[in-house]
Order: sequence, then C-alpha cells, then structure tokens
Amino acid sequence: MVYELKKGAFVVDELKNVSIRIGDIVEEEEEWALMGPTPMPGIADLRDWDFFLLKRYKPFYAPYCDMCCLCTMGKCDLTGNKRGACGIDLAAQTGRIVTIACAIGVSAHCGHARHMMHDIEHIFGDSSEIPVDFGPEIDVVAPLTELITGMRPKTVADFKKVLDYCEEQIVQVVDSIHTGQEGSYLDYESKALHLGMIDSLSKEVADIIQMCAFGFPKGEDNQPFIDIGMGVLDHNKAIVLVIGHHAPPATNIADYIEENGLEDEVDLAGICCTANDMTRYYQKAKIAAALSRQLKVVRAGLADVIVIDEQCIRADILYHAGKLGIPVICTNEKAMHGLRDMTKEDPKDIIKYVLDGAPGVVVLDPLKVGEVAVTIARERRKKRGDKIEPKLSDEEFMNYVKSCTQCGNCTYACPQGIRIGEAMEAAENGDRSKLERYWDICIACGRCEQVCPKGIPIIDVLNYAAWNLIINEKGKIRRARGPVRDTEIREVGAPIVLGTIPGIIAPIGCGNYPNGTEEVYTIVREFASRNYIVTLTGCMAFDAALYKNEEGLSVFEEFHDRFDAGGVINIGSCVSNAHIHGAAIKVARIFAMRNIRANYEEIADYILNRVGACGVAWGAMSQKAASIATGFNRLGVPAVVGPHGSKYRRAFLGQPYRDEDWQMYDLRRGEEIRVEPAPQDLLVAAETLEEAIPLMAKLCFRPADTDRGRSIKLTHYIDLSLKYLGRLPDDWHLFVRTESDLPLAKKEELLKILEDEHGWKIDWKKKKILEGPIRGYDAAFNPTNVKRIFEQGPLPIGGGE
Amino acid sequence: MPASKPFDTANIPGPKMAMIAKTKAVAAMIKKAKRPLLVVGPDLTDEMFERVLKFVEKGVQVVATGTAIKRFVEAGVADGVKYAVLHELTNFLLDPDWPGFDGKGNYDVVLFMGTIYYHGSQMMAAIKNFAPHIRAIAIDRYYHPNALQSFPDLWKKEDEYIKLLDEVLDAL
Repeated sequence: MVYELKKGAFVVDELKNVSIRIGDIVEEEEEWALMGPTPMPGIADLRDWDFFLLKRYKPFYAPYCDMCCLCTMGKCDLTGNKRGACGIDLAAQTGRIVTIACAIGVSAHCGHARHMMHDIEHIFGDSSEIPVDFGPEIDVVAPLTELITGMRPKTVADFKKVLDYCEEQIVQVVDSIHTGQEGSYLDYESKALHLGMIDSLSKEVADIIQMCAFGFPKGEDNQPFIDIGMGVLDHNKAIVLVIGHHAPPATNIADYIEENGLEDEVDLAGICCTANDMTRYYQKAKIAAALSRQLKVVRAGLADVIVIDEQCIRADILYHAGKLGIPVICTNEKAMHGLRDMTKEDPKDIIKYVLDGAPGVVVLDPLKVGEVAVTIARERRKKRGDKIEPKLSDEEFMNYVKSCTQCGNCTYACPQGIRIGEAMEAAENGDRSKLERYWDICIACGRCEQVCPKGIPIIDVLNYAAWNLIINEKGKIRRARGPVRDTEIREVGAPIVLGTIPGIIAPIGCGNYPNGTEEVYTIVREFASRNYIVTLTGCMAFDAALYKNEEGLSVFEEFHDRFDAGGVINIGSCVSNAHIHGAAIKVARIFAMRNIRANYEEIADYILNRVGACGVAWGAMSQKAASIATGFNRLGVPAVVGPHGSKYRRAFLGQPYRDEDWQMYDLRRGEEIRVEPAPQDLLVAAETLEEAIPLMAKLCFRPADTDRGRSIKLTHYIDLSLKYLGRLPDDWHLFVRTESDLPLAKKEELLKILEDEHGWKIDWKKKKILEGPIRGYDAAFNPTNVKRIFEQGPLPIGGGE
Repeated sequence: MPASKPFDTANIPGPKMAMIAKTKAVAAMIKKAKRPLLVVGPDLTDEMFERVLKFVEKGVQVVATGTAIKRFVEAGVADGVKYAVLHELTNFLLDPDWPGFDGKGNYDVVLFMGTIYYHGSQMMAAIKNFAPHIRAIAIDRYYHPNALQSFPDLWKKEDEYIKLLDEVLDAL
C-alpha cells in the first residue's frame, strides 16, 4: 500500500506512544533562474540601496507637529530639531511618523490580502486548487513576488508564504517605532522604504489572488466601458451602494442579482476601489464616485442600502446614512461601527432586523451579504418614489443661504479654504454658480457644517446648487484590465528605455485634489496626447473619466488601453498598483534580460537609471498613499503629489548643484562619471497643476536616454513649460549632453541660449556643442549606482532560462 | 495660543508660533539682510501683485512659484524674476551651501506671500525647524504660525492687509 504524505499528524498502530507530525512539504522547486542575493530581505538587507537613495534624494522634513506625544515622559517640544525626553530629535521623530504612516498603509494592503485569502478559501475551498495562470501572453505573472521573495507561485495557496513574510516584516518595523529603538532619521527612512516595498508586494498578492479566484480580466486590452458618475444610477431600480476596497461581498451581491434574475430591478454601484474591482467581476455594475464624493453621494440619498467593507469609508457613515434612514451593512471586521454582529444568523432574520428600523448590521460572511443587501434594498425601494430629488426644497435652500452670517468659520475649517460665505451671499442674490463651482472643489469632509453657528447643512446646500451637475454626471471608464502583458513589454521595452516613448505617467491614489477633479482629466489627456503611456488606478482613474473632449468622449474612449504610446489604461484598484511596478520590473526582465529573482537592488537601480516612469498622486490623502509612493520610490520610480502632499511631512528631493550626489558608475568605461539630475526628485509636491505637468515631464528624464529619446523628452519638457508656465524652464540645459539631445525644431534658438546665457562654446558652422554640458553623450553608456554591479556585473540569469 | 487665527483652524504646530510682524520691523529686516528673497505663490490678488512689482523695483530678489510666474510673464515683467518649484526651492534653502539663483550664496531673510496656504505653511515649518540660517517672514493675508514673524489673519480685511504691504514698501 502506498500512502501520500500530507501536512498533518498520524500514528502508527504498532508504535506505542509515537505520533509523527509532518509540517510543510517543500517540493523541489524548478530552478527557473539563479537565486539572487536578497530572497525575502529583512530590514537591513537593502539598507545600502536605501542609503544611496537617501544620499541623492535627501529626506526633506516639513513637520506637521513640532511635538512628540507618544509616551508619558512627554509631551516633548522638538522645535528646532531639539531632542525629546527619550533622546529622539525632530528629524528622527519625523522619520518615525513617516514610518508609522507607511506601517498603517502597508498593514491595510497586507491585511486586505490576508483577508482576501481567507475569503477565497471560504468561498471556493482549497486555494491550492486555484492555479495562478494569466494565459500565454504573461509568463512573469508575479514580478514583485519573484523580485522580492525569489518565489514563483503556481497556485493561490503559494502566496500564503509571501504573506507570512510580509507580516513578519511589518511587525519587525513597527517594533522599531517603539520608544527607545531607532534614533537615526536615515534608518527610519530606510525602514519606511522597506515597508513601501512590502506594501507593493502585499498589493500584488491581493490582486493576483482575487484575479485568479474571481476570474477578473488578466491583462487583456480593449476592455469594455463601464458607466461612471453620480448621474448613472437608475433610480427606477433598488440601489445597492458598496464602499471600500475589499470586493468579495460585492461579488456575492452581483451573484445574487444574476442568480435571481434581478438585473432589471437592482442597480449595483460603488465608491472607491470596491467599485473598480466589482466591475472586473460584474460588468453591469456601475461606479458612482471616487472617494472625494463619498459624503456627497450619501447625503444626496442616492442609495437604498449601503454596504461597506474596508478602507476609506467615512468614520461617520452611520451618522449621515442614518439621517436619511439608509441602512448600513458592515461586511468586514475592520469597520463594524458599533453595530450588532448577526453573521451567524439566518439572512431572513438579519433582513427583518434591519427593515424593522435598525441603523445597520454586521454581516461578516460574504456569502450572506448578497441576499441581505439586495432584499433590504428592494424592500426600501418599494417605499420611495421613482424620482430622485435634492434633499432640500428651494425654500429651504434660500433660507439657509440667507441665514449665513459671513462669519468665515466654514472657510477656516475647510481644507481647501473655500470662500463658502461669498458663494452663499452670491446665491442669496440669485447667482448659484459659485456654489456649483465649489461643489467639485469641495472634498465633502463635512468640517464646515460642524462649525457653522447657524447649523447650515453645507453639503446639502452644495448638492442642491449642483443638482444639475449631479444628475448629468455620466462618464465612461474602461473596465480595469490588471497587469501589463509580457508581449506588450516586448514591443515597448526598447522605446521606453531608449526614451522614444517619452515616459510612463501613473496617476494613482486618492481624491484630495487642491482644485477639483477636472485637473485629473487635464493631466491624463495632456500626456496621452503626447504619446506617454498613462496607467491609472484608484480614485484618479475614476475622476479622469468624468470629463469629455469636444467630441463628447472621455479619455478612456478617446485613447486605446494598450500598454503602448498614447494608451490610457485603467489598471485597477489600489492593489492593482502592483502591476505598474510589475511593468517596470518586466522591462528589466524581458527587454534587458536581467535576472529579477530575489535581485531587488539591481532591478531598482536599472529602473531608476532607465525606465522613465513618474507617478502622480494629485490628491494623495491616506497612509496607504504614503506607503504606495514610498514603495514606488524604493523601486526607483519618482512621484509627484499635489500641494496637500507636503503634509506627509517628508519628501525626497535632490540638489542638482552637488556634484558628489550625482556620481554614477559606467560599466562600459569602468569609471565614475558625474551625470545630470535625472530624475531630480523621488517625491515632490507641486503647488498647482500648471507646475505639476512640466515637473512630471522632467521627472521622466533618465541617464540612459539615447539622444533621440532625450530630444523627445526635452521637447515635451520645454513645450509643457511654455504652455503651462509661459516660459522656458530654468534648468533645461542641465539635461543637454550633445546637440542631438536638443529638440529639432528649436535647435538653433536653444544653442544660442546655451551660448549667451550659459556660456557654452558652440561651433556654429557644424552646429555642434564644443563645451558646456555636465557630461558628453555616449550611446554605449551603461550606468549603475551600485558598486557591486560595477565590480561584478549584473547577476546572470542562470537556471533554466 | 497663537498670536492670530491660523487660516486652517487646526494649524497649531507647537509651542513656537510666529510673532505678529510689525511693518517697520519687517522693512528693517529686509534692509539689514545680506540676501533677502521674496517667494511669491499663486494665491495672489491683483493688488498684491502690484505690490510684488514694487518689491522688484526696490531690488528684492523675487522668485515665483507655482503658477505665479505666469502673471509676471503675461505682465511683461518677468526679467530678473526667478521661477522655482516651492518644494524644491525650500529644500535648497535648507542647505547653507546652496549657491542661490545667482551663484552668490543662500538667502538669510525669506519672505513668503501668496503660497497655497497649507503647502506654504509646511515649507515654513521646514525652515523653522531645520534652517537656523534663515528667518522666514510671512507677509501674506493669512497668519502663518510656522513663520518667525507673520502678518495677522487679514483675509477678510483686504484693505488693511494691502496697507501693511504699503507700509513695508514705504519703509524700504
């Protein structure tokens, strides 16, 4: 008889008092590539790389608070970089706060991934039976997992080891935050970068396992369009509104609708990333709004029932929904809002409990959520009319605007400093256009309402004034496609690295924009029409879809969604950001044939030097956005944030005038060389959209650009500066290595400026630069910042490749 | 207690908050400074812009940040006015070895006006805590607690605010 040994314990009858326990069965892994130097790196393993980054891109600290209040020896005043009672100075304390923010962010993504694993096993059974397979066009399925852990998962269950690793790293870094641990701001930043990397890995796990289990699209382009906007909800139907980031309960709602043939009776819509992921599963689902519209949607009374899961849900959701009698179903233990947990009870009893008047209920089993949510929504639908109306009558609106005393409290409370009083006064005099305009700039935080001495429900006033905008807000977004295919990388790897595709622009993150949502559309359209590849995720993907060109097309309709020049791609939800990292890693793997297995430092170095990508989180708000950006930064991808982003307290900014910060090794010549500041910053806040756009173009320069590529990038940098700032940038000459780097159409004009204003020597007969640039152009320049690579060369691929 | 109301009510950074700037003292600081710099951001009314041009006339180096540079360009008065990304500029200011816009060194008195309030506040926090070689003075419509000295909260009293700017200019 043959027994197959599995994990577990067994006894042998003949052997008294002996039991045999078998832990994990480690199968001999196919040697697909030589194992790199840092499989599952700990805190200290990539510290040298971090310290290189931190030398060039020095942490810039703008404390939000000059005190530390974390232990009982305090409060400590750290103003002027003083040390507190524990000995920590303000720089290290600020690095510590940044590390805390990243720890919160990565915990959200990692917790989400672990929760996803549990839900998948609950819904589908054994996760080792779910293959990780993205089809024939994607061989490198999990590039971050390969890069960081050295593993190549075959099934969903294989990712459990990855999560074990992530969880340990998070705990170890959080340990370092305790009083009496780390004292160096540089080491705190290295830890934050470590968490950023773990964040990227956790996101990859979360998205890949949900894609495999729920059958989401796996990188196919030409995705269908999804309705988006507050005006797309069909009020003839019962409306279930889901909010959050964890889609399994929403998929169950979709299943329930389909299984019971209720598509004509029930509309399923969402806010935030659950909405994005839900449409990857159920194409009839709609996206109501991004994060910054959450309170506007809730207060407009657009939902019959609200289903929340995790992350980015308003903490006062119950208060606002309750005022309109909208029940809230909490489906995730991370956000239960004090409601009764009825998970184990019969769905019919849960439904009765809510319909009898409870403000909401906790249902943690995703398999019960569909019946509960849909039934409650349908019952509530029967009791309301067909038409959706503003919550205020005209008379109430006028009474409220007239009651404004112009005290200004709302403006002091507003994160944007909106002059609400002025708009109220204009409305009192018959002009509602200011209120309508402010409706979009307002992020609906609700702070104004709490300080209004007259108790004006300012969100309702804004919603009333903008009602036409609300009901007519109807956009189109592509369904999220997920990863970039290896076959696409084969096509665009060379143009990206050579610079002839001028860059990859990645609008990601939250909706705390300084000046409304339209700026997102402007960013996307500007870069897509210039043949950059634009990859979007999260709230920025939603907000970009709300506006239309002259022909009535959204950016998703106007541009293709291939990973190629001029593409506008909805990659997916927050966790899908991992695929943007993945695309950059795949350029190194597929185009440059670098070994990515457990080889983080080399690949990050490759990306920093060669892949002209720049993230933009124009409305970055959350701790997740902090860890996301920090993860991009460690991998060598810079990011621009909006002006609110300086409240993250830390940026990574270069000083281009410091020769010692911009030395690189040239593998070909075997020498060190001073290079141009490309990219100049790793994390920088722009003050306005007009500043951000040329800045993003600038941050796509890379030392390895060919002259043709540099010429294209310089053309855009100069054009965009002229278009948005009305002048040539002051620093364009820093990026010129040779005359062929210059934009062709402006070559003579720019040569003249180089001669007159910068003192460069020009041979006018040959139109050649003789003297002046930081360095000359060398087509064979083979740069690295890593001494080990300089001395030993890149890691060979080895294995079976 | 702050000396005036911050434009963001909760912008209370800690025990050290800006004293209210007196116009004659501001003018004296500018005059005594070896290398004064006026940072001008995009939150700028026409009347404020007119005063900025007078600072230019008085020989104060002006750097426009954000979209403010467009106003100078469109008004045909951009010569000599520098442009910088405020975040990058502040990073340079923190470095005592920064050669400045003209290669002659860093600045010792930096005046702020018209920056996006919350972003400018963060930049002044950086200077307050990490640039002992610089005195940051906010001559804005808003009270900036992170400056060394700041005009009081006057965004609802534009005339009073403009008068303060004129007093500084008159005393230069």
